[in-house]
Amino acid sequence: MSLQVIDNATCTFCGCVCDDIQLHHDEFKIHKAKKACVLGTAWFLNHTAERKYPDALIDGKEATLDEAIEAAAEFLHEADMPLVYGMSNTTCEAQRECAALADQLGGLLDSHTSL
Amino acid sequence: MYWGGNPAECHPRHFTKYTIMQKSKFLPRGRKDRTMVLVDIRETKSVKASDIFLQVRPGKDFELITILRALIKDQPVGDDQIAETGLTREVLEDLVKRMKAAKFGCMFFGMGLSMTRGKHMNSAALLTLAAEMNAYTKFVAMPMRGHGNVTGADVMMRWQTGYPFGITFNRGYPRYNPGEFSTVDVLVRGDCDAAFIIGADPGGTMPQPAIDHLKRIPTIVLDPHVTHTSKLARVHITTASQGIAAPGTAYRMDEIPMPLKPALKSPYPTDEDVVRRINAAISRKPFWLPEGSQPQMLTAQV
Ligand code: SF4
Repeated sequence: MSLQVIDNATCTFCGCVCDDIQLHHDEFKIHKAKKACVLGTAWFLNHTAERKYPDALIDGKEATLDEAIEAAAEFLHEADMPLVYGMSNTTCEAQRECAALADQLGGLLDSHTSL
Repeated sequence: MYWGGNPAECHPRHFTKYTIMQKSKFLPRGRKDRTMVLVDIRETKSVKASDIFLQVRPGKDFELITILRALIKDQPVGDDQIAETGLTREVLEDLVKRMKAAKFGCMFFGMGLSMTRGKHMNSAALLTLAAEMNAYTKFVAMPMRGHGNVTGADVMMRWQTGYPFGITFNRGYPRYNPGEFSTVDVLVRGDCDAAFIIGADPGGTMPQPAIDHLKRIPTIVLDPHVTHTSKLARVHITTASQGIAAPGTAYRMDEIPMPLKPALKSPYPTDEDVVRRINAAISRKPFWLPEGSQPQMLTAQV
């Protein structure tokens, strides 16, 4: 089977964010990451599109995405001082939604930078 | 100049792609036209790449930076003060001479500077040194950012709130105070009563009292993997990994936004999607002010 090639893909494993990686993939697994360094290669090759984990967990039990979203909203809404934290391994688009979430909740918003 | 970082192992392509190896119009010989200085407390793999290696005594970075600030202005510095940093006057004077002779200096500082004794005071001192060097030549300083899109988080929060991190909205508008609103402090003091964690694993990295508090309160985790934090959380939602299966934007450490080109089709939704749906679910509930009243908008007052 021939592999699909993506030119100039972006690696986000470290802060260098190299944007010249050539990925060879079959939509399920990445087989080769040309130009990436050891860390980047390991990162690309370690991910697959396989369903490794359940969609969601509530109190350690498997749940559907809809249930989990409802539960998350409930917990955050109930709280007096909710905290929104992290945002390193995610996209700017998701980070923007997080800012909106903290704003709507009247909560705390913080990232890795503060550590 | 790299200060308190080990790019050879933590940012492997930093040298070749951005700093010392590239040939350019004004530096046609690439590596040979540049001088690289490394300041660290021990010999790492990055030493091999450097021209000058300064082994500073652990915890003496602030003193060393302060001495350099004095030396560039020809102010007197005592021998015992220099001896305290573990370096000699000749080495430092040579460094100062080279710094002043440079056409364009760039300092990168890592966690070895910003996370050891002195913490953000060290970073502030180095930034001041870079600023003061501009009286002689062009100099800049930049932190070496770690995993993924932390830079993006700074940029995004600055854009949305005016502050880079450590923010609270509890009065309805953003306020900034690291130490009071920064996560470790909030968790160790046990201030917050729910936590929403995305793209991070504090359960594996934070001090134990902070983790204990995450266990006490309802914690919600969004992550491509079931992490340490997921195990102590009430809710975990699996999402697609950024850049591999989720599209979007990530910021490079010099604040250049880069589009992501995901290769794989993940069976999971993206972070963006899930957070947007949580937002929508919360907005269907009454607002958090008493009786669900809305905050007064500025336009209503004028
Ligand atoms: S390829 Fe290597 S240096 Fe480049 S972003 Fe990925 S991990 Fe960092």
